[in-house]
Amino acid sequence: MVNWVPPEWEDREMLAELGIGSVEDLFRDIPKKARMGRIGLKPSMEEPALVDLVRGILSKNKPVSGFDSFLGGGVYTRYTPAVVDGLLQRSEYYTSYTPYQPEASQGTLQAMFEFQSLWVELSNLEVANASLYDGATALAEGVLMALRLHPGKRVLVPGSLNWERRSVIENYSHGAGVELVDIPWDPTTGLLDIDFIAREARKDVAAVVVEIPDSFGLLDVRLPSLKSTLGEVPLVVYADPLSLSLLEPPGSWGADIVAGEGQGFGLPLSYGGPHLGLLAARLSAVRQLPGRLVGVTQDANGRRAFTLTLGTREQHIRRSRATSNVCTNHSLMALAFLAYATAMGPRGLRRLAEAQHAAVGSLVTALQGTRHLQVPRFKTPYLFDVAIGVEGATVDQFLSAMLERKIFAGVPLDDPRPVASHPRPNAFLATAGPEIDAKAIARYASAARAFGGA
Amino acid sequence: MPFHQARWEEPLLWEIRTPIESKVDPIPGIPEPLLRKTPFRWPEPTELELARHFTRLSQMNFSIETGIYPLGSCTMKYNPRVGEVLARDLSMTAAHPAQPVSTVQGTLEMLYRLEEALGKITGLPNVSLQPAAGAHGEFTGLLVARAYFHKKGDPRTEVILPETAHGTNPASSSMAGFAPREIPSKDGCVDLRALSDAISHRTAVFMLTNPNTAGLFEEEVLEIADRVHAQRALLYYDGANMNAILGKTNPGKMGFDIAHLNLHKTFSTPHGGGGPGAAALCVTDALSGFLPVPRLVKEGRKFRWSYDHPDSIGKVRSFYGNVGMDLRAFAFIMAHGEDGLRRVSERSVLNSNYLAHRLGKLLPRPFKPLVKHEFLLSGLPLRERGLRTLDLAKRLLDEGVHAPTVYFPSLVEESLMVEPPETESKYSLDAYYSAMERSIKDTDENIHAAPRRLAVGRVDEVAAAKNLRLSWRDLRRTP
Repeated sequence: MVNWVPPEWEDREMLAELGIGSVEDLFRDIPKKARMGRIGLKPSMEEPALVDLVRGILSKNKPVSGFDSFLGGGVYTRYTPAVVDGLLQRSEYYTSYTPYQPEASQGTLQAMFEFQSLWVELSNLEVANASLYDGATALAEGVLMALRLHPGKRVLVPGSLNWERRSVIENYSHGAGVELVDIPWDPTTGLLDIDFIAREARKDVAAVVVEIPDSFGLLDVRLPSLKSTLGEVPLVVYADPLSLSLLEPPGSWGADIVAGEGQGFGLPLSYGGPHLGLLAARLSAVRQLPGRLVGVTQDANGRRAFTLTLGTREQHIRRSRATSNVCTNHSLMALAFLAYATAMGPRGLRRLAEAQHAAVGSLVTALQGTRHLQVPRFKTPYLFDVAIGVEGATVDQFLSAMLERKIFAGVPLDDPRPVASHPRPNAFLATAGPEIDAKAIARYASAARAFGGA
Repeated sequence: MPFHQARWEEPLLWEIRTPIESKVDPIPGIPEPLLRKTPFRWPEPTELELARHFTRLSQMNFSIETGIYPLGSCTMKYNPRVGEVLARDLSMTAAHPAQPVSTVQGTLEMLYRLEEALGKITGLPNVSLQPAAGAHGEFTGLLVARAYFHKKGDPRTEVILPETAHGTNPASSSMAGFAPREIPSKDGCVDLRALSDAISHRTAVFMLTNPNTAGLFEEEVLEIADRVHAQRALLYYDGANMNAILGKTNPGKMGFDIAHLNLHKTFSTPHGGGGPGAAALCVTDALSGFLPVPRLVKEGRKFRWSYDHPDSIGKVRSFYGNVGMDLRAFAFIMAHGEDGLRRVSERSVLNSNYLAHRLGKLLPRPFKPLVKHEFLLSGLPLRERGLRTLDLAKRLLDEGVHAPTVYFPSLVEESLMVEPPETESKYSLDAYYSAMERSIKDTDENIHAAPRRLAVGRVDEVAAAKNLRLSWRDLRRTP
């Protein structure tokens, strides 16, 4: 048995002090009818057996090193400098909790202040919170925040929006009783109908959501002038953090709220979580911001100190009228994001972004003229992911054929729960990260050419 | 030698190194008007400067491995190191969420076995691991309830909860579109009459934590369940306090329909300085169809994700859950096993009663003496010395221990909420008693001046809210 609980002989001394015969007496307040028998679990294990058990189960995963992976779609395989995980493994960070007593927790607080500053610099907005669960929940919280800033019963969301993010926004905005309106996308360019946005924005709309790059991987050159057509309606932008090392930040073109997924900065894929939700807004809206916020102040001796602030926005004080129910956030992931970005530096991030962009370009070039594939699917600039159309077969058939050749060829752009106003292209997203070299791209092209269709 | 925390006066990153302004040159394939013109300014320290910075910050951070951290309702137990080793297995960390299921059968088996175990532990066999944290689990559970009543053609508008409920309960209710209604307590527990007065055909859910936030077991829970069900409403179990009852009773046995578990509390996944957490949502068969998609299914010996659940609420976050945390919780459950988990609750409840008994000699304890995994004290007697619970909490920090949760729940004036989890030894609890005793017996002047042995002195939280400086940008404006 593992040695995680102190020995039972201590129990007897403590029970004697309490004047109680057995530990069981401490449970006498549970009604008999509610008592349970066995849980139905197996006996305890020693640590070596535990390690064998867990590793044995995990060994049923196929090692990713045996495959060429072109999987992205907002979640990317990237090398993380070793120093980042080294810092994350310091138990002073990972075994602490929300810094309710600021004097005892200056380390977490200062790091979160630096993290907030980093997302402000990247997004060029004015205030960022100390993290949310993931990109989808950050975007949904961003929409809820917009609803508190502007009246309206409709939210315009991209018709191209990833179905998961759309579903999360839908669930989050239930309480506010708003309707999601899908902005149509053009079948040739994949881009949103900007006239539709300008027209609809005047009709009881509380917020407009756009993405850069969008869920099809596309860059829309018209976005920077979008805000001028919206008037007072808040513009909520979902942006990839690495893209912001190359692209003009949404805060510079009128975004009121910028949400993002931070996984690509130093966080392992971990089969989808824990990842990191990023959220920034204008300072004038800070009292509507959800989540923890760290501010600078001073201690009794006049020295600089950090503390959680504006707690009156939060559930532990405001209860049903809080800006959000969020309590536990993704603080450790925010620390990883901060350490990664700082280890890479602005120039390192930019070089990484350029390299990934170039590698995706090489993939597109290598796939030109492949039967059954439309590369790229849309005649529009893309960043980090390219949408590839499949003709004369389903996406699933193509990806399965590629899998047989040990290639994870892409992330399908389908919707397992189809919505009529939210049509999907018969396409998938492919990326090419730093681990993808010319040989891997050649293998992809060769396997794709061998695909015989349905 | 008394405790002293490191005091580095550590500069901010951009004070260590002058920030670089990154310039972007034309890039083929990216439209020029989209390229970054607003400079992205951030420092590029050497790797040693970076490591030293975050090492120094970590030394100014109290943690479980530093000392006892008995925050009530947070279950700050030891996070076994083996979990960190296992969660860093490459087949876990390098698996992309869009990878074909045939290549991640191991991860899926682990998740499936975790779901099974949590179903047995709660007595509610239908489990979703999608929620990222406890509050997220509450929100998901309430969406499930909402969908259930909608499907029945019996839409309901209210959620009832005790005034002692965690703040996340009313906040989650509002977010899910319900009107939360708080009812008064009686002797620290649910007042059955107040419940009966409040409950009606408008009630969707009654949310309850048991043991509750006063650390008391709600002995009338079966009667509560009957009254809730008589109105065809649902009973929701906030699993924040599950550490008290493993193997003794479970939400199913108590008559709950929905329960969330905080895997970062009861099942020891590290709290990470505020997160990540992970939660499981467990429900009865009648509610199973409404759980988020995808659901994990087993066919023969293979596992796959299923989206074919037309009544499902959909998604509450991307992908499947905080899988990296789920693995740590799985390892914790497997290591402890049947008897070990029961022992977890026995020792946590024993620790709590023992420490409550001892600290009760120093400060008054409200309500009945028998508590579960946590208990309340009142700092009210300090008032005549011109001191508050907050002052005592700060003085405690100087002893190298963490303060309890303070000022929650609000039904006890000047409350302290103490939770000494099962991983704390008798020695550690006795030391905590001594620390509390020294703190209370210290001079008023010293208590007011506390803390004096931490990285900073008493932090001015009012000034932080008055003169908001929330980023480097704000500091550039008003240093």
